[in-house]
Amino acid sequence: MADDHWRDLMLAAQAGDAAAYRRLLVEAGSWLRTYYARRLPASMVDDAAQEVLLAVHTKRHTYDPAKPFGPWLAAIARYKWIDRLRAMKDALTEELPEDIAVRDHGEAIQSASVLERLLGRIKPAQANAIRLVKLEGLSIKETAERLDQTVALVKVNIHRGLRQLSELAREESHEA
Amino acid sequence: MKLESLIDELTEDLTPVRPRRFWADLLMLALIAAVELALLFALGIAHLDLERLATQPTMGWRLVSLGVIALMSGFLAVRSFDPAYSAKDALRWLGVIVVLCLAYGLVMNGPPAGTASLLQRLDWRSGIQCASKIVLLSLPPLAALALLCRRGAPTDLRRTPLLSGLAAAAWGAFVFVFACPFNDPLYIVVWYGIACGLVTLAARLMMPRIARW
Repeated sequence: MADDHWRDLMLAAQAGDAAAYRRLLVEAGSWLRTYYARRLPASMVDDAAQEVLLAVHTKRHTYDPAKPFGPWLAAIARYKWIDRLRAMKDALTEELPEDIAVRDHGEAIQSASVLERLLGRIKPAQANAIRLVKLEGLSIKETAERLDQTVALVKVNIHRGLRQLSELAREESHEA
Repeated sequence: MKLESLIDELTEDLTPVRPRRFWADLLMLALIAAVELALLFALGIAHLDLERLATQPTMGWRLVSLGVIALMSGFLAVRSFDPAYSAKDALRWLGVIVVLCLAYGLVMNGPPAGTASLLQRLDWRSGIQCASKIVLLSLPPLAALALLCRRGAPTDLRRTPLLSGLAAAAWGAFVFVFACPFNDPLYIVVWYGIACGLVTLAARLMMPRIARW
């Protein structure tokens, strides 16, 4: 980690310097890929690195320029890694049935109604962002414009909303 | 989405931010605590009885113990809102200080003479009232800590809520010392301990939901 160099870039980014910020994110992204490559399955590395970059973006005001940037980034990376491990541990794995290819519209309709009900239980801003991006296929930018939110906020809303949905779904499956 | 396109979007979304300042957060917390204390004095609920402070050793013990615990845990709680800070060792020392303060209180007046004396000294009706008031007084600093925590980026979701709860509880109890008519160390250890324990436990259980990011 090039601490002084990263600290200078982050300091400039906190002041609004987009070029310094881009450089920092590119370098941090590359470091994060290496970090997660040793800790997560290959298919998850990019997702995990993205999640940390998003966290760096939303929490960039918590970085104290008097301290080195490396430990700050590493602490966030570790926190998100532990979060991911916990989610992996909690996620139930089911064996796929033999007749998975058979299309069942009844289930799809039921799933859609369950999803709609669950969406009604999370914050409207999160539900709207998920509906537009994940169900209607709009881009993040289009969604941000339509909902009058920033791009980062839409991402945060989708991320938190999906996590909330998975928790709700888990709760319901336990109750059933 | 690819990492590169996320970087593009985050860069586009960049706006200047004011870095979080540890001392500013601490000052805000101290201000809220001071306002609460001043308000209670202004309303006449709390009063500074210098004669009582000089003649009753429990007053000094309570003020020093609770003051030290509140200051230390408040300081550590605010520090733990920084993702890179680990309060592991500091929390251990804080635990030792809490135990020493409680132990000092218990040995102050010696053991109770018998079961009847014990029940009399504990005076559970008044004790529940005292404990409830301490819990109420803990709420403003706890709310302030929760807000600061939400604004920060804590990465230890076990110790940060624990420290926040302890800081708020110790402050609530510290403020209550000025309004509490009881002086028996046993009564104070038990009922203040129960109130502080409840606030700390509640923070430990509920704050991770607020703190998660």
